[in-house]
Amino acid sequence: MTHNKFHSFRRGVLACLGLVIAMDAARAQQPLMAPIPPIPRFVEETEAAGLQSRFEGEDEYMVGGGVATFDCAGNGLPSVYVTAGVNKAKFYRNRSTRGGPIKLLEERSGLELTNAIGAYPIDIDGDGITDMVVLRVGEVQVFRGLGSCKFERANDAWTVQTGNAWHTAFSATWERGQSWPTPAFGTYYDRSRPDFPWGSCTPGLLFRPAASGTGYAPPTPLVPSHCALSMLFSDWNRSGEASLRVSNDREYYKNGQEQLWHVAPGQAPALYSPAEGWKPLQIWGMGIASHDLDGDGFPSVFLTSMADNKLQKVAAGAKQPTYSDEAFRRGITAHRPYVGGDIHPSTAWHAQFADVNNDGLTDLFVVKGNVSTMPDFATLDPNNLLLQQTDGHFFEAGQQSGVASFKRGRGGMMVDLNGDGLLDMLVVNRWDKAQLWRNLGAGTAKEPVPLGHWLQVRMAQADGNRDAVGSWVEVDLGEPSSRVIRQELTVGGGHASGHLGWMHFGLGALTEARQVRLRVQWPHGEWSAWQSVTADAFYVMDKERGIGPWKAP
Amino acid sequence: MRTSFLALGLAAIFSTLVAQAQTSVPLIPPVSISAPQPSAYSAAVATEWFDLALLLTQQTPGFSPPVAARALGYLGLTLYESVVPGMPQNISLAGQLNELNSLPWAQPNEALHWPTVANAAMATMSRMMYSNTSAENKARIDLLERSLPLKYGQDFDPNTVTPDITNRSETFGKLMAMAVMTWARTDGGHEAWGPLRRSRANYVPPSGAGKWSATPPAFTAPLLPWWGEVRPFVLKAASDCPAPPPLAYSEQTTSAFYKSADEVYRVSNMATQEQRQFALYWADDPGKTPTPAGHWAFIANDLLKQRKANLALAAETFAQLNMAMSDAFVAGWDSKYKLNVLRPVTYVQLVIDSNWVPTLMHTPPFPDYPSGHSVQSSAAATVLDQVFGANTAFVDNTHNDRGWGPRSFKSFKAAANEAALSRLYAGIHYRFGVEGGQVQGQCVADKVLALKFKR
Repeated sequence: MTHNKFHSFRRGVLACLGLVIAMDAARAQQPLMAPIPPIPRFVEETEAAGLQSRFEGEDEYMVGGGVATFDCAGNGLPSVYVTAGVNKAKFYRNRSTRGGPIKLLEERSGLELTNAIGAYPIDIDGDGITDMVVLRVGEVQVFRGLGSCKFERANDAWTVQTGNAWHTAFSATWERGQSWPTPAFGTYYDRSRPDFPWGSCTPGLLFRPAASGTGYAPPTPLVPSHCALSMLFSDWNRSGEASLRVSNDREYYKNGQEQLWHVAPGQAPALYSPAEGWKPLQIWGMGIASHDLDGDGFPSVFLTSMADNKLQKVAAGAKQPTYSDEAFRRGITAHRPYVGGDIHPSTAWHAQFADVNNDGLTDLFVVKGNVSTMPDFATLDPNNLLLQQTDGHFFEAGQQSGVASFKRGRGGMMVDLNGDGLLDMLVVNRWDKAQLWRNLGAGTAKEPVPLGHWLQVRMAQADGNRDAVGSWVEVDLGEPSSRVIRQELTVGGGHASGHLGWMHFGLGALTEARQVRLRVQWPHGEWSAWQSVTADAFYVMDKERGIGPWKAP
Repeated sequence: MRTSFLALGLAAIFSTLVAQAQTSVPLIPPVSISAPQPSAYSAAVATEWFDLALLLTQQTPGFSPPVAARALGYLGLTLYESVVPGMPQNISLAGQLNELNSLPWAQPNEALHWPTVANAAMATMSRMMYSNTSAENKARIDLLERSLPLKYGQDFDPNTVTPDITNRSETFGKLMAMAVMTWARTDGGHEAWGPLRRSRANYVPPSGAGKWSATPPAFTAPLLPWWGEVRPFVLKAASDCPAPPPLAYSEQTTSAFYKSADEVYRVSNMATQEQRQFALYWADDPGKTPTPAGHWAFIANDLLKQRKANLALAAETFAQLNMAMSDAFVAGWDSKYKLNVLRPVTYVQLVIDSNWVPTLMHTPPFPDYPSGHSVQSSAAATVLDQVFGANTAFVDNTHNDRGWGPRSFKSFKAAANEAALSRLYAGIHYRFGVEGGQVQGQCVADKVLALKFKR
């Protein structure tokens, strides 16, 4: 080998090594090879929209802080119900102009309550009008929707008596053959033991429809219960039957863990066991988000905690509820503030998967905030907006998008409040005002511009489960991405916050015809045929009538 | 030619990497940051914190021997769990200990400085575990946390430990301490010094021949009668390691029980100067010393310093030793209050000499059998045999400051035997209580040593 050839060879090797090292370094940190996803711009419109709510309260109000969004006015725009702890929970009718600034008008609805910490809209009595479940420090109150955004208390009529515990979690499913849902309520620790709360978690409750066909039978205690802060009925293995996932707070339980309950028709609820593949996990569980992230047909579960957030993926197929933690691999640990200079661990509450930039890749929204003034946890703890990249990693865009609030976040919701196809953001903050941001996409406040195509669909069927909760909706994006995305329609999860109504799908880039195909697996198993729809529009998918466009009144 | 070959190779590697990057989920294994492992650092952080823990144990109200052993157990576990993510050959004990299924884990792509992690974890845990200590002692905790990085420059080299790494390490250490504390609060022994917060009626000692009753001179109420129900670290239940059955109670002069009590009476009355010294040396009274568990922790700490041990070894040692001692107290207390054997002073006064009291020390306010000191000394010696080797001769400097040492021992077992028998010399335990305690302690240690620390 000549001197020059040697140097040539050495340069080649060094270049090769350098490239490998550089590639490894790039992959080790935020992967540079996947392009940064389009970052939506948000503008805060709390004051302008007329949202005036503060979640107040001392010890018993350290958890909760929920918000519910639902269309009770029939205008296709979700109205907002915000809990406020010891303050009065308020209902806001949505008076926004489509595509314009968000306008909320406080209105007396019958939902005005104190001690409210969480809220989930759901049509309990199957009359086609949305009802409401309000979690409280004290008895849960259920409200029957009367239409035109009016509600009346229905605990007695429906025989829903929960007692005076600290109610912190809710979810519901329609069991096969039932026209009324099966609601589950989670509770926190014994309110009479504030001096020594540890190990005093009180039982959750599972209500089943009464044999009479109206209201409920006396509840079944969910024992053991471990201070649940979030619950979600979800068909984790696509069996056609939802199981109850419960996220529990290790701060107070004794011998507790995360839980998954079998809730089989006619049978007592039973925990999935290690023999069935369930692996014990202990975290400061506070919120659940669920979504089929990787297209395998099974929902992955994001669990919020105190700096110990998990992304659980079904690891052993449909037969075993065995999960692997993918949080680190996906860059989704969200364990400390990403901006603001506070180096302490984060405290995460509400979590929700949603496509905020309409690129066809589901993103993750996490609400953060110190429990109170815990010195060893971040005080300046911004909410996360983690945008999924093409390689499956997530990119933190909270600061760039303008939603990095440093208040003590609790519940929240990503929801399209002004009907423009872009998901807006609501956050409830402890000891502070609730906040609202409008999603402008790539545009301006005057002219929002979606970053990609979108589709919003509302499910409908006759009798009982009118909103078809438990459906799986699949959208075949066709060219150019050739992907099928899917969502499960659930009631529950997040942190004390729920939404009922439009299911939002970001579609990304499409061909000029903007056509995609959609099909639905209705609750308990039947698939619809594929239906062609045009993007950037609203549709109602009715089990009997098929799919049809929805036009704003 | 060679350059073309390289270019082709380069292109192949590049395209492979790009292909990997474009899969729907990246094939990226957890990144291992090449930060030094805990074994690369001295044990100074550990030994300094246990030095302080022993002082806090002695000076904090309510830290009776079982409470003290529990606190040291949680501190040992916290130390180990805070650094085990940096020990690739080791595993967490979560999943092996009762009701502890999982603990937070360090992020694989964040370099941590293990002495800083341990320092923050121990400071946080000390604050929570000794929350009722004096303001002066709380200041000592703060001071130690701040001063350790300055005192041990070789372990806290500011040239390599950047502020970013320090911040990350501190937050992980605190998080681990808080996670362990959430578990600790539900073991039934949390804040045992506080007002009765458990849903239980006051303890009523059983009555009957041979049953324990309060002892002179103070006739103090029984200490921690429910401590046997405290969740052990390792034993599935306290009853997993029961003490062997005690001698059958009898007041017949020919009975084994009578002879055993008579032995206490005679031996304590006629104790040699050396035996009296043993008795006082191993008294390890709360308030005056770091209690029996603190005594053994001191011995271990001293040996780790003398042998210039590393942080990894110190962490594993304190986890094993301190959890064994805590479980020994739980098992011992379970047996004590289940069997309720009366103390020698009560028996002797009833049957042999109504005016007799032990002359060296007051009888502790709880049932005799088994001797708690014997249980936990036996457990401690068995663990230290495993860590440092059987027949390890050592010098015990625990009580040098009190003017009672140093004392040399040819082995840990020899020290444990002396500690056990000292209770007989002191007139507060029967020989069968001492011997039964040693059997129980061995059982506890065997179960702790069966924990899986290595992959």
